[in-house]
Amino acid sequence: MTVKCGDKLPNVYLHENTPDSKVNISELAAGKKVIIVGVPGAFTPCCSKDFVPDFISDCGKYKSKGVDEIVCISVNDPYVMAAWGKDLNAGGKVRMLADGNGVFTKALGLEKDFADTLGTSSSRCKRFSMYAEDGVVKKLFVEPDGHSVTCSKSENLLSQL
Amino acid sequence: MPVKSGDKLPSVDLYENSPASKVNIAELTAGKKVIIFGVPGAFTPGCSKTHLPGYVSDFDKFKSKGVDEIVCVSVNDPFVMAAWGKEHSADGKVRMLADTNGAFTKAMDLEKDLTGPLGSIRCQRFSMLVEDGVVKTANVEPDGTGLTCSLSNSLLSQL
Repeated sequence: MTVKCGDKLPNVYLHENTPDSKVNISELAAGKKVIIVGVPGAFTPCCSKDFVPDFISDCGKYKSKGVDEIVCISVNDPYVMAAWGKDLNAGGKVRMLADGNGVFTKALGLEKDFADTLGTSSSRCKRFSMYAEDGVVKKLFVEPDGHSVTCSKSENLLSQL
Repeated sequence: MPVKSGDKLPSVDLYENSPASKVNIAELTAGKKVIIFGVPGAFTPGCSKTHLPGYVSDFDKFKSKGVDEIVCVSVNDPFVMAAWGKEHSADGKVRMLADTNGAFTKAMDLEKDLTGPLGSIRCQRFSMLVEDGVVKTANVEPDGTGLTCSLSNSLLSQL
């Protein structure tokens, strides 16, 4: 089952900076307006150049629309996510949360086999962006092919808020 | 059986910089003296603060002992490995090769289940000297992650 508008976010733990630092995504989203974006891989060209930077630079615009937090998730370990966030200057703007085991990705039904592009045998996350209020998905954009940067782009999500 | 002295390196492809850029480890080591060291994860504390930097800074010492190349391997994808190498100024000193699917790690029987902290099976920390594709010295950390026998200064003393 793939996540859709109206669904409650799954009660799943992600990790921030280290494997010891757990963040429950539904608790994070409770009572708040949250943007969550998912990417196939940290440090990959598209994710690094064309996708996440826009959410970082649009942080101010999201805040002015009442968004409390912006979160980026990927099936990578927390050390890699933290390093990537530092590389992108995401600090204070986008929280980089690691879905190391892919549990969150699986719960959303957004898994994709990227063996032909990333060469990895583990499933990764399709590219998506979503807006959730009090833990309920209100807006959702999942890339049809799972990796291009079209409907999930920041400017598109922003225009919908 | 974990890799040991006398073993031929498996003929496995690793990846450098991108998934399109394959490097066969057996071909890389043919006719050369190569150092290969493996780490549990790019950007993890031990690997980043101690293990990789040691090999980068000892590059000239290895060269003076006749080593042709130094290679770092980890079960990460090539974009992550390239970024990690760049962060540590490895370019021109240590080649960062991605064992994306863990095939090389498995072939050497050096897998370690780090699903808890890192989300997947990774490589035990090790270092080795390979001559013409044959392992001459292999140092595998007893617990798979410690920073002892596989460090650069330790391998240097064995050359």
